[in-house]
Amino acid sequence: MTLDSMDSVMPSSLLDYKALVRDDRIHASLYTDPRIFEDEMERIFYRGWVFVGHDSEVPQPGDFITRSIGTQSVIMARDQDGHITVLVNRCAHRGTMVCTAPRGHARVFACPYHGWTYDLSGALLGVPYPGGYASFDKSTRSLTRVPRVESYRGFVFASFSETGASLSEHLGNATRLIDRSADLSPEGQIELSAGWVKHRCAANWKMLPENDSDGYHLGFVHLALFKTVRNAQYQRVVGDERAIKAVVRDWGNGHIEIDWSPGYEKPFEWLGSASGPTVDSYVALMEQRYGVETTRQRIMQGPAHALIFPNLFLGETNIAIVQPISVEECVHWHTPMFWKGAPQFNSRLLRMAEAGMGPASFLMPEDLVVAGRNQLGLHAKSVEWLELSRGLGREHVDADGRRVSHVTDETTSRGLWQHYRTVMSG
Amino acid sequence: MVSDADYKAAVEFLYMEARLADEARYAEWLALWTDDGVYWVPAITDSEIDPEQHISHIYDNRARIDTRVKLLLTGHRYSQVPASVMRRLISNVEVEAGDNGELVAGSNFILAELSIQAKHEMHWWVGRTTHRLRRVDGALRMSRKKVVLINAAEPLPNLAFLI
Repeated sequence: MTLDSMDSVMPSSLLDYKALVRDDRIHASLYTDPRIFEDEMERIFYRGWVFVGHDSEVPQPGDFITRSIGTQSVIMARDQDGHITVLVNRCAHRGTMVCTAPRGHARVFACPYHGWTYDLSGALLGVPYPGGYASFDKSTRSLTRVPRVESYRGFVFASFSETGASLSEHLGNATRLIDRSADLSPEGQIELSAGWVKHRCAANWKMLPENDSDGYHLGFVHLALFKTVRNAQYQRVVGDERAIKAVVRDWGNGHIEIDWSPGYEKPFEWLGSASGPTVDSYVALMEQRYGVETTRQRIMQGPAHALIFPNLFLGETNIAIVQPISVEECVHWHTPMFWKGAPQFNSRLLRMAEAGMGPASFLMPEDLVVAGRNQLGLHAKSVEWLELSRGLGREHVDADGRRVSHVTDETTSRGLWQHYRTVMSG
Repeated sequence: MVSDADYKAAVEFLYMEARLADEARYAEWLALWTDDGVYWVPAITDSEIDPEQHISHIYDNRARIDTRVKLLLTGHRYSQVPASVMRRLISNVEVEAGDNGELVAGSNFILAELSIQAKHEMHWWVGRTTHRLRRVDGALRMSRKKVVLINAAEPLPNLAFLI
């Protein structure tokens, strides 16, 4: 056995995550070591709560979507009783992937190999030529159900672990971030019905949540956009360090946020300073439902810009998902967030989604090309550490227990990594 | 059916447009558009898809086509610094008469892109394009370009060049 092959079978439990993740720096192997990726799948994606989809994506009984939890394909379906189930996409017989469509409507899932059929809750309905089995308990050959499925305001999360923290314990106060986005609907509900764009990234999956919550890179990575488009929202986030009012927050449990709203001076700056009859009719609806003061606050603040650990990104007017593929590859999904009761905004929200995210957009291609260059740079074996200390000297804890700092500070990344260290050491 | 002269003019336009895009000649490419141009790259291959209901990779009106090109011209659109090295082949050209004297040209393409901004990788882009071409001051201009990638709904790498 060569040294290399011994290395690849060395139990990853020997890795000391407390040594690799320090308070002010992190080790490069966290982005490049395939053993660490396997540990992450096991400890983060197959033990903890992971975002799967939104219930508006499966509005009717029989509707389903296929997604991934970690690198495992799953089906999220609404069964005949209206319950949402998350099923491992693997026939109990020979392991065939049962469903390859990204979305659809079905009465049963039929495996193409030997015709085993399952209902939408995963129960085995029929096996062709049953005489071949002497005794056969169908109830033990269901599609494997992900044991815990819970939702908050339609955001469906699942956990492969039958025990452990509840979803509400995992989310903690970060439910307020989800509220901030969903509360912009006059009916209090969002709808994800525009389909998803998937953007392939040649970098480790953790670079996406880190970059999504990094307020330091904007004026550099996105210089082309700042030079081309001069609107208030963009101009407030670049310029003199002391004049920038936006903040970053660490909400705990790996949930992290950039809050641009302290820098906003007028309503709807987050919506490109929208105005006109479309906006007026929306404001009237909101005021009817929530009152003038609450409405004013919501249209000033706008939706959240936050990561819900580990894979849901509330990207202001977009919802995004981080999908790990392998240690050096991931996919960023996004769709515009439509507000139920305000369809007059859908067209604008679609165009904003296309401008902001995805492979042909005006922002993300720069982020992902830099992520790709990070990934290449991190293979320099003679330098081991990444710096993570920015803002350590000026961040503070607010009355709600959240760590807060200047928008360019690495408080968010540190929040992510501290939770990571806890989960990975457990 | 269109005349041989119209067919030839449409094909020559497609070849020229492809060459300007391949060679990152952004300002010249921009000049090929009419003032009401629409540039559309759906995110799904379904031909019935409505860009007012479903997200696209690109659904640019003329103002946004201008912005797209301006970004590239800043020299700081890092996903295209340096510009990808590209060549595309265009084939299976079919030209029909459209509304208001426009020509509607359908064509297949295979585009080889050497992406040289990070990891040097070869990407293959394949699909069918529909151009609407209009004569403006004696020259053909694009009033609409729709590019349906065969893998539109799959995870795509950066598409910041002119497809």
